[in-house]
Amino acid sequence: MLMLKIAARNLFRNTRRSVTTLGTITIGAAAVMVFGAYITYIQYGVQTNAVQQTGHLQVFRNGYFAFGTASPGAWGIDHYATVLRLIGDDQILKPLSAVVTPIQSLAGIAGNFENNTSKTFFGVGFVPSERDRMKQWDEYGTEPRGLKHSGLNDNDLSKGLAGMGLVRILGLCDRLHLDSCLPAIQPPSPPSEFAGEDPPPSTNLADLASRDKPEGDAATNVNPTIDLLAATAGGAPNVVSLQVANVEIQPFKELDDNYVGMNIGLAQDLIYGRGEHKATGIVLQLHRTEDLSAARARLLSLFKERGLDLEVRDFTDLNPQYNQIIGLFRSIFSFITLIIGIVVLFTVSNAMSMSVIERTGEIGTTRAMGVRRQGIREQFLVEGSVLGAIGATVGVFVAQLVAFSVNHAGLTWTPPGAGAPVPLRLYTNGVDALVVLTWIGLLVVSAAAALIPANRAARMPVVDALRHV
Amino acid sequence: MATQSNNPVVSLTDVFKTYKVGEVDVPAVKGVTFNIPRRRFSVIVGPSGSGKTTLLNLIGCIDRPTGGRVVVAGQDLATLTDDATSDFRAQRVGLIFQNFSLIPVFSAYENIEYPLLLLGVSAPERRRRATKMLEAVGLVDHGTQRPNQLSGGQKQRVAIARALVKDPEFVLADEPTANLDSHTGASIIELMRRMQEQYATTFVFSTHDRQLMSHADETFTIRDGVLVDHVTGATSC
Repeated sequence: MLMLKIAARNLFRNTRRSVTTLGTITIGAAAVMVFGAYITYIQYGVQTNAVQQTGHLQVFRNGYFAFGTASPGAWGIDHYATVLRLIGDDQILKPLSAVVTPIQSLAGIAGNFENNTSKTFFGVGFVPSERDRMKQWDEYGTEPRGLKHSGLNDNDLSKGLAGMGLVRILGLCDRLHLDSCLPAIQPPSPPSEFAGEDPPPSTNLADLASRDKPEGDAATNVNPTIDLLAATAGGAPNVVSLQVANVEIQPFKELDDNYVGMNIGLAQDLIYGRGEHKATGIVLQLHRTEDLSAARARLLSLFKERGLDLEVRDFTDLNPQYNQIIGLFRSIFSFITLIIGIVVLFTVSNAMSMSVIERTGEIGTTRAMGVRRQGIREQFLVEGSVLGAIGATVGVFVAQLVAFSVNHAGLTWTPPGAGAPVPLRLYTNGVDALVVLTWIGLLVVSAAAALIPANRAARMPVVDALRHV
Repeated sequence: MATQSNNPVVSLTDVFKTYKVGEVDVPAVKGVTFNIPRRRFSVIVGPSGSGKTTLLNLIGCIDRPTGGRVVVAGQDLATLTDDATSDFRAQRVGLIFQNFSLIPVFSAYENIEYPLLLLGVSAPERRRRATKMLEAVGLVDHGTQRPNQLSGGQKQRVAIARALVKDPEFVLADEPTANLDSHTGASIIELMRRMQEQYATTFVFSTHDRQLMSHADETFTIRDGVLVDHVTGATSC
């Protein structure tokens, strides 16, 4: 207590120096906390995006994740409805789960034969209502991002979604009345000597597609129709028609140029035809991410008990960019924190060194009065710590102020993994650990910075210190 | 008890102290031997550079001799560790400095209270003793003032109170009137003498102030690091 009193009073002996030092610590603390809040926002945003898309966990047939994407039909989960019930009815998983739903992945060629264009696609079939529920997941209160409601109906197999890029490539922008979509541009004509030798393959594909087309002229439909060609589980080609009811912008161009979403029934029709309908995966979305490990363990335990050859992947496996993005931002954060720590270290060390020099006579007096070397050392360590504590505490308030200003400034940006701009937010709630760690960290750095000057003060011979003028 | 009162509070035996200044050894004290009796007002006199302050530093346990033996209050200082020496100073030695050496961030009262804090004295007892001492040196109305708000004489009064508040075995004062005008110096000497008698303690101080010498019970004269004279009884002006 005595040391704290002395430390507090000594802070005001050289006000300008103390204010400068405190300013450095405050700015450092605020910078770490603001950037930490920003990274937390990024992490929550990317995680929310990933979990809305893929859920927390997905169950596949063992080996599908590594080898099955080339032929999803061959890796479907047999009797997936039974597995779905097994998961959905489990007493441990039930309270943890927000959504348990099947998906069917597929790939093939999408064609708009009115426009003589076609494009390979990656597709996913889902239960529209459950997918819409997944899109509502927002554990961290991030702003809405992406398409919240697909506009699809569980009982209507004819409608689906497409990425903006695919819509553009297939020349559907006008039909969908999309302002931000570029009109189709035809590629340059091939050299004349080759022209007309090879008729466009779309002719045959169009014939194939016409078998499953709905009645009436496509041009009269409200939604434009595309044809999807894929190989069935047995290897035969199959074609279905899909009305593009909505556009869902994907975060990456490659995906955006290839994405098709549809009712799982249509996807199963395309892949399995009249055979047994399977699902490539079962998605499990949890209420809270912190339950992920428990849910995974329970799933594996269930599958082992029932002898099911299934594997479980979490959203970080399914979205490899998640860990890359978080890792990138964390490394930047670590670097900035390190730089700030070094700046604070040298600033406090310099201030304490000056203080020791100025107070040499006083050190001699107190030592002569019976204060031990350790007492002198502790006094300067306490003073460094008090500097750190005050600077970090003010930094917390400054960070809150900055966060409040940013959060109310109406700034927007497009975060990694998102397809549309979202409001820029600095998360000051839910980052208690960051605030506490920053506060403690700066306290430790400040105390460490005082260590060398404190040792120098403690080692001074009493007589020399008393002689100092 | 009678034996203790007859024992000298300080006993120096063939004490040497040599400082190293760069590559040169500078002897400050050269084989000094003397005893300082208890409950006396003793003064070490000599010209500047004669070794007075060095002797006081050795007696006050804030420096160690390069040769010889220093026994203070029955304790051979050579046997003490650095921490034990600090504790010894805290408990048994009161110090008064030429330049007052008050702690600038403390008030007059807090400066007086500080030695008691180091000794772990309880708060009520600290308050009682510090207040009593503040009264004794006539600074009751200045207790809350910081050193920079006090005159030189007031600062030295605080320093005297600080030295005596812990009831030390003896008080060392290094030229306590050197930075004061003659009138203030005289009042400080008067105060010290009064306090020495009131508290029945031992005062040892260095000076070349003839006024101060006239109050001494014992006078040790040192020149060029050697004791050249020892007079018992007040030195005439």
